[in-house]
Amino acid sequence: MKKSALWTIVLMLVMSLFLAACSGGNNDTTTENETDTETENTEATENTEPKEGGTITLAVDQAPEGVFESAYYRSAIDAEILGFTGGSIYKVNDELEYVPNIAEWEISEDKLTYTFKFKEGVKWHNGEELTVEDWAFALETMADPDYDGSRFNYVEGIKGAKAKKDGEAETIEGIEIIDPYTIAITFEEVKINNLENLWPDPMPKKHYEGIPVAELGESEQVRLNPVGLGPFKVKNVVPGEYVELERFDDYWEGKPLLDGVVIKVIDPSVANGAFQNGEIDIMSIAPASVKELEAMDHVTVEEATGTVYSYIGLRFGHRDQETRTNIADFDKFNSKELRHALLHAINRQAMIDGFLSGKGKVFNTVIPSAFWTAIDNSEINQYEYDVEKAKELLAQGGFKDVDGDGFVEDPDGEPFSIKFGHYAGNATFEGRSQAIIQSWNDIGVKTELATGSLIEFNLYNEMKDNDDKELEAFFGSWGTGSDPDPSGLWANNAEWNYGRWVHEDNDRLLNDALSEAAFDRDYRKGVYDQWQKLFNEELPALPLWENMDLYGINKRLQGVHVNAIGYQTDVHKWYVTE
Amino acid sequence: MLQYSLRRILGMIPLLLLTSFVVFSLAKLMPGDPFGGEIDPSNTDPQYIEEMREKLGYNDPIHVQYWRWVTDFVQGDFGKSTAHKMDVSKLIAQKIPNTLFLAVVSLVFTYIFSFLMGMYAGRKPYTLGDNLIAGYNYLALAIPSFVAGIVAIYFFSFQLGLFPFSGSVKVGLEPGTWEYYQSRFHHVLLPALVLGLMGTASYTQFLRNDIIENSRKDFVRTARAKGTKESKIYNKHILRNSIIPLVTFLGFDIATLIGGAVITETIFTYPGIGQLFLESVNSRDYAVMMTITMLLSFLTLFGNLVADLLYGIVDPRIRLD
Repeated sequence: MKKSALWTIVLMLVMSLFLAACSGGNNDTTTENETDTETENTEATENTEPKEGGTITLAVDQAPEGVFESAYYRSAIDAEILGFTGGSIYKVNDELEYVPNIAEWEISEDKLTYTFKFKEGVKWHNGEELTVEDWAFALETMADPDYDGSRFNYVEGIKGAKAKKDGEAETIEGIEIIDPYTIAITFEEVKINNLENLWPDPMPKKHYEGIPVAELGESEQVRLNPVGLGPFKVKNVVPGEYVELERFDDYWEGKPLLDGVVIKVIDPSVANGAFQNGEIDIMSIAPASVKELEAMDHVTVEEATGTVYSYIGLRFGHRDQETRTNIADFDKFNSKELRHALLHAINRQAMIDGFLSGKGKVFNTVIPSAFWTAIDNSEINQYEYDVEKAKELLAQGGFKDVDGDGFVEDPDGEPFSIKFGHYAGNATFEGRSQAIIQSWNDIGVKTELATGSLIEFNLYNEMKDNDDKELEAFFGSWGTGSDPDPSGLWANNAEWNYGRWVHEDNDRLLNDALSEAAFDRDYRKGVYDQWQKLFNEELPALPLWENMDLYGINKRLQGVHVNAIGYQTDVHKWYVTE
Repeated sequence: MLQYSLRRILGMIPLLLLTSFVVFSLAKLMPGDPFGGEIDPSNTDPQYIEEMREKLGYNDPIHVQYWRWVTDFVQGDFGKSTAHKMDVSKLIAQKIPNTLFLAVVSLVFTYIFSFLMGMYAGRKPYTLGDNLIAGYNYLALAIPSFVAGIVAIYFFSFQLGLFPFSGSVKVGLEPGTWEYYQSRFHHVLLPALVLGLMGTASYTQFLRNDIIENSRKDFVRTARAKGTKESKIYNKHILRNSIIPLVTFLGFDIATLIGGAVITETIFTYPGIGQLFLESVNSRDYAVMMTITMLLSFLTLFGNLVADLLYGIVDPRIRLD
């Protein structure tokens, strides 16, 4: 499939859950627009009165897998459909904070027990009323030893969940149903992000009645006639082509305005033409398509700073799979001056302009700016593009060109070179990796492309997993989702800490930010500030930029609100103008 | 003939086994597995990935995995797709009607066009018309299908609005109604046209060459001398003899059409076997990949057999034993 640019690769790497496919190949043609027709990029705010009726088409570039239950889905497309058909007890607002949705909660004195109070009268698509039993059912199912979905870690924190999974208990000890609308959950440990890591989606208990847990994920009830809480329900599925949703009149937040939504699979090479013809109402797009879409007067392009960023990882060691720890035993990048110099050498703004059509922001930390915990730029080193400074830093670090070949040798006088790896994908990747290699060569650090060419995506991931010697510096991207805690990616022994960076203050600060003291919001921010300053100073990886989420929206569709998490806020308020 | 067929079928089996072994090894040698790409640090537990790998047996040595697969396969258990979480047999059964429909319609187009062109070119060889036809055919052979597909979409679908550009059926129609079948046919036309027109080269040229050769034969001279109409000579006598090579092509084409329309299917978002195959390779969905490979190998060999048998039927001079 040929969806272009950073986009799919980035989404693939993290937030998306599946189909590592997409070796991309950019077939988007950019039209020559000599006259810079600035179509007003209007905010999709209401400039007409909301009215009922109408159907819209959301275009996606890959077929959904058709798993319409959030505990089991894998594909990012299924996630988008669930954004229309599903409902959670809490949601994430524009500031990336967790706020009540269908339930509110109170935290006990010892911070171990959260008592949730559900709204009354919330209906499922099959007419049944939502009670706390449905949520308890979901949590129990996910802790069941027969559960074959991938999300056990979302119930792991509940007291007794592990015991159930290991077969030592029939039910989860920490779940207590007080009445049909009140439930108390007790956790194993006090952690600030117990709530973020708790699965928020109830399952329709009556609808799934009688189905053994082992068969639930593949059952008809999940795939063909799913039942959810959202404003739209699944009407028809034609595998590989489209999913048709129709309005659920009894939606708890009020009757949705639209009649229905069609999620249609459209190959990226014809997507722009389809937009032109008015066949698509909304679609997530790549930076390369922005220009062509902005030129169409019935289409606007919305952008939002997402939670995705790109970086260059540096390898410090390897991972011991037996003990699941990272061991720092590769000292090529141990010189801090070297690391600082490498970042100063890259003209990041130029790369954003050149390869992302300007749709990115230079970034110097690894917590996306959309989070309340992200540190202010004024407090950290900006590592401006400065070739002279980079050279000075190298010299300070002991890297001098002793033999006059134009490249520096390391402090011991030995020849020094870096192998930089990048994965294959669309056309901009080639240019981008060359730009980085050139930047480093220009300051005298000999750099070559690892393995000699861009590496196939799956192979690249395997190489990172296995700490392949060819990858000394490597390009990567992460999408963090809505949890501000970066431990999963950067903690000393995290599996996804591909650079295998280990530092004593690293874990100390990360754990401190999750501890009981962190329930004080200012305290937690303070700790994360310290951690980001540590990261910024130590620079175990070179943060490059934050990617922006881009959406092409047909002007006939109004009411779309785009934030850092996505575009599906309040979909029941969307309406069409004609 | 029966004996001949049976012998051929028995001969297929070692070939199929060899193919399966080679493809299986290649597939496993590819880096990655179905879980490699789905890393979402806030959403995926590395332990889960490990567990799934154990459960699906990816950590066993390769010959153990192969043996397991072969024994399951011959018993009819084609495995489960890791991407779609359903039985491979069900998955393929879902997609095959689409592909078959596309294959048949594009074959019809190919035949109609190549017959017309071949007969015309054969009758008037070395004229301008003949050269134009040859030129067109080689051009069609050379143009990549995705270019042809995209151009066709932009022209016929976007500009002229004659055909829909994606999907196999219009959204919202009830299956089984007349409009539903109408819509399906309408949707298959453009991809079939693209596929059909692009594949006329071999048929046309073979037909043309055969017609030219046959028109030099003695029996044609006799017929002319008898006073038979020119058109009857060409359309009845010569044509019947010239069809023979085309019949053999049919056999080979069975497999190609079923699995080979990958690009066209992708561009037209026409979900069929070709697209499924590509997707399964990309996502390392071994069960689907192996099953489709075996299916295509079997069809190729079977197609060869059919071609040989048909040849025997159509040409009385040939005896098969």
